[in-house]
Amino acid sequence: MLANFEYQRIRSMEEGCRLLAEAKGSGAVLAGGTDLLVEIRNGLKSPTLLVDCKSLDSLKAFHVDDSGSSIGAAVALNRLIENRSFQTRYPALAKAMASIGTYQLRNRATLAGNICNASPAADSAPMLLVLDATVDIVGIGGPRAVPVRDFFTSVKKTVLKPDEIVAGVRLPERTDLRTAFRKQQRIRGHDLAVVNVAGAYSPSAKWLRLAIGSCAPTPVLLDTIEVDSKDTGAFSQHVLKIVRSSVSPISDVRASAEYRRAVLPVLVERILHELLSAEGGV
Amino acid sequence: MTGDLSYVGKPIARADGVDKVTGAAQYTHDLCLTGMLHTALVLSPHASARIVSIDIEHAKLLPGVRAVLTGKGLCYQLGLYMQDKCILARDVVRYQGEAVVAIAADTLDIAKAACQLVTIKYAELPSVLDPRKALNDDAHLVHPNLHTYDHMQGVFFPTPHSNVAHHQKIRKGDFNRAMEKADAQLTASFYNPPVQHAPMETHASIAQALPGKRVEIWTSSQSPYTVRHLMSTCFELPHANIRVHVPYVGGGFGGKAGLGLEPLAYVLSREAGGRPVKIVATREQEFNTLPSRQGLHSTIEIGTTSAGKITAFKATYVWDAGAYADYGVNIGRAAAYAGAGPYSIDNCWIDSLVVYTNKVFGTAYRGFGHLEVLWGVERAMDLMARKLGMDPVAFREGNLLKEGDTTITGEPFTKGHGNPHQCLQSVADAIGWGTPSDPPAEASKVRGKGVAALHKAPAMPTYTSCAAVIKMDEDGAADILISGVDYGQGTYTVLRQIAAEELRIPIEKTHITWECDTAFSPYDWQTVASRFAYMGGNAVIEAAADCLNQLRAVAGQALDASPEDLVCENEMVFPKGEPDRGIPYPRLTMGYTFENGNSIGGPVIGHGRFIATGLTHLDPETGQGLPAQYWTYGAHGVEIEVDLQTGEIEILNIVSALDAGKVLNPKLCIGQVVGGVIQGLGSALWEEFVFDENGRFLNAGFVDYKIPTAKDIPRHTQQILLENPQPGGPYGARGIAEHPMISVPSAIGNALYDALGIDFTTLPLNYERILTRIREKAERS
Amino acid sequence: MHEIQFTVNGQRERARVPAGMTLLELLRDRLALTGTKEGCGIGECGACTVLLDGNPVASCLILAVEVDGHRIETIEGESGGGELSVLQQAFIEAGAIQCGFCTPGMIMSARGLLSRTPNPSDEEIVEAIAGNLCRCTGYEAIVEAIGIARDRLLEGGAR
Repeated sequence: MLANFEYQRIRSMEEGCRLLAEAKGSGAVLAGGTDLLVEIRNGLKSPTLLVDCKSLDSLKAFHVDDSGSSIGAAVALNRLIENRSFQTRYPALAKAMASIGTYQLRNRATLAGNICNASPAADSAPMLLVLDATVDIVGIGGPRAVPVRDFFTSVKKTVLKPDEIVAGVRLPERTDLRTAFRKQQRIRGHDLAVVNVAGAYSPSAKWLRLAIGSCAPTPVLLDTIEVDSKDTGAFSQHVLKIVRSSVSPISDVRASAEYRRAVLPVLVERILHELLSAEGGV
Repeated sequence: MTGDLSYVGKPIARADGVDKVTGAAQYTHDLCLTGMLHTALVLSPHASARIVSIDIEHAKLLPGVRAVLTGKGLCYQLGLYMQDKCILARDVVRYQGEAVVAIAADTLDIAKAACQLVTIKYAELPSVLDPRKALNDDAHLVHPNLHTYDHMQGVFFPTPHSNVAHHQKIRKGDFNRAMEKADAQLTASFYNPPVQHAPMETHASIAQALPGKRVEIWTSSQSPYTVRHLMSTCFELPHANIRVHVPYVGGGFGGKAGLGLEPLAYVLSREAGGRPVKIVATREQEFNTLPSRQGLHSTIEIGTTSAGKITAFKATYVWDAGAYADYGVNIGRAAAYAGAGPYSIDNCWIDSLVVYTNKVFGTAYRGFGHLEVLWGVERAMDLMARKLGMDPVAFREGNLLKEGDTTITGEPFTKGHGNPHQCLQSVADAIGWGTPSDPPAEASKVRGKGVAALHKAPAMPTYTSCAAVIKMDEDGAADILISGVDYGQGTYTVLRQIAAEELRIPIEKTHITWECDTAFSPYDWQTVASRFAYMGGNAVIEAAADCLNQLRAVAGQALDASPEDLVCENEMVFPKGEPDRGIPYPRLTMGYTFENGNSIGGPVIGHGRFIATGLTHLDPETGQGLPAQYWTYGAHGVEIEVDLQTGEIEILNIVSALDAGKVLNPKLCIGQVVGGVIQGLGSALWEEFVFDENGRFLNAGFVDYKIPTAKDIPRHTQQILLENPQPGGPYGARGIAEHPMISVPSAIGNALYDALGIDFTTLPLNYERILTRIREKAERS
Repeated sequence: MHEIQFTVNGQRERARVPAGMTLLELLRDRLALTGTKEGCGIGECGACTVLLDGNPVASCLILAVEVDGHRIETIEGESGGGELSVLQQAFIEAGAIQCGFCTPGMIMSARGLLSRTPNPSDEEIVEAIAGNLCRCTGYEAIVEAIGIARDRLLEGGAR
């Protein structure tokens, strides 16, 4: 047995929020379980109640459309990655999700779970930040929508209140945005990110967004950068200067701060090249 | 053996395949006995501390708890070569992760809950984490009572009142003089961190204390008879009172040799009134508590003539044995006598020191010190070649052992040793040595090539032996009883091939029961050291010959012919040239009955054995002697690609050559080589234990201890198996089990110089280290 | 305690389980299906891989209660009670097995792959088994075995 806790499949979001409220902070939402159950096994979390949100059909649904997409909180990552429509519209997000864990874990892990776990290295977070995603949340007080850029507060902490459940993640209307994702690992096999970076470029509006993970207590969305320079070299330097001042990588068992600081600009430059060269990115 | 072989040398599929692909194979993890209890452990949080008090009273009271043990009251010292280990920590803890309290209960959950109720007070002591610092006079002593410990006399030499568990010396010729006269000289230092075997099945043992001072054990082990022997000496029980079963084993790689969790399971069972007790290591405990491969600091000095002939070689090997040095002392010994590489060196001076530190202890690991030592040696060879302005392959060519040379322990090198030159040349040719790599596709990448040689002999006591029994069945089939363990390497299949070949029966009629049982399977020392196919093969050959003698003796009477005139072929015994007068085996294997009813002979049971021959102890001062039953030589050639911006390294091609003597089963042999190369790749590029400044283990799990996945294999691999026969080997075969792993890191380190112009001396060669050196070099220029 | 109903290898099962019991424990300890192994307990090694509604999953990170109403396939069901499947046969032929501890999980991952992608490339095969650690074989023979099985199944082999 992993631990002693109660388990409840919910029949509605309201029921779920009510149960969590009653648990007064010692409840937890179970979606894929690939983070939560590990933390319970290792004694890092000891919830007394697990609320299983996979019983709600609405949370298992996802809708991909040029006018905007919504991904229910209980959708397993592989269902998105393997969906042609999703792959076509969000190839970099699909790439980021495909770098999470193993194939087996991705048959359970969810996008909502990845952001709720709120690791600074969460692989979906940088892409969601540059895509300006919105997190739909339901609590006993009702629903609210939080832009993902306001969602993370600190290492493994979000704005979620103890009674709240993420219903899903919404992506805005599709434009001409080109996106790219890079992740530095220690090995080609499955690994957490030493550094991960996402970029989005609007050729029509001529701006660039970058988000960086694993280099600060939360994933970091840089301020939007105007792309007006024809001199790609100078532009690159300009961007890297902003990047350097936006992050504070630390040394941990996975990598030193120096390595992170060394690799980050490389990933950023590769993304810039992919996004800004004529034939690069989508 | 001349003539066409029917089975030996053929890619016969392993028999255990069916059990394994259906999930029917039972490993110790899977076994369940009536009334079996489950175990949880309380581990030390400190690297070095006095145990002030342990309160187990609340734990004992938890319903379902059947035994709670601490080291107090378990006054046993364990060890095969050096008896320095206790079953549970007693008085002091010597490494973070050491087991301090063990609890057996009706369920694992109850045992774990009971562990939460144990209170332990520690008083931290100084600790020593670096083996070089442990050599200082004022260093904290991990074993202050080292001088009182029993150890294998005449073989191992601990230094009293120090942290030196063993000091192995090689003194051949006159190093100092030769070095003075050398035209070129080199000194270099190298480091290997501790790593773990990471078998997919963690350590697991079940023990039951039976009435009448008997013990029955089921264990995931490479050495049932060593378990039996050490249990016997430790608990002072007759050998026959201890019965050890080894079911399917999910990987060992040396980590499951010797004694592991068995004594603890036994004392828990004793305490629990004889209920069987199972202990299964969690993956975290596999890293943190169970043994590792020792770390190694090497300093190597080489002197050569201007023409590149090595005249002087000196090495100081400081082994990081961790808190207990039982196997460590033998690794220190073995690596010393192999510690100058496969080269002809007239003047050699080696000091191999096995040093205690307050970290998890080391044990046997595939290669037994040779991967660690050859990391330094084979890198140093490249450094020396470069200093001389010589090609690294040519430099090695001029120094590899050949007929007429002697090894550094004074052993003459003969044709029967195999051909290291051919190994090196094969890999050099195969990777296009001398021709630069094709340019990489990306501008940020560079490529390089490297080679490294390797050698190893089985590191085993001079009296190592193996026995086999062949029982023939009513239908003429042969059951082989042997207690070497097939934990994946495939030796049982090879032994069946040999038995079928020798007994002249179809291979489908040879069987080995998968579980070893010391009650029925005859003695084998341990399944380590790449010696099972060799010694087991010879034992089976002798056992088969014994069976045939018995068959011929009885058939001789039946046919009124002399047994020497009878031939065994196609499951029949017949006079030479007269097969139609033949008697089929089934009419002989249970005795022969004449027409009138008289019966002669009886059940045909053959036995055979093999004991290491001609081995001597090594002189304690000079290391001279004959430690090696046979040497196996080899080489790797590797082509790599490095990303200059991220430090990522990829193996484009790795070619491995081994002089196998005779490839008994090509499919199994290739499997060993590929598997060993990939395991070597793990040591080369990713694997290391990370400790904090207090000696606490930081990466005890697969999240932060990375082993190669299917995505990490080289783009291309090639295996070249040479067959220069080994005299005395079954069909001329030598062992090759450990060798594929050895020198993989060395070849890659050499290739990195070729690619980057940077010398790496520390493993692993991970992306961060590579990038750090690339950037340092760029900054300097 | 929770009452659950599920099928394992085509067989209907019921059990009464505590919330904290994992699917791996349910299979091994309650149903004596010990073919599925525990290698790490945290989803990193793949030794516990089974098929849940046809999808390869790490059973050590699924609660038994979560499989109520679902379909599970384990290594014990691979041969369908009779002959070895094409995959099992291919593993033996290709020498893709050494100690065998990773083998059940590998075969389950491979089974999942071939069900969803009948003609996978070598790269797709590698991706499918990347979450199954093997310490013995070095993976090459395993990739080869799955390729052999793919080819035979495409030619019209049975299971």
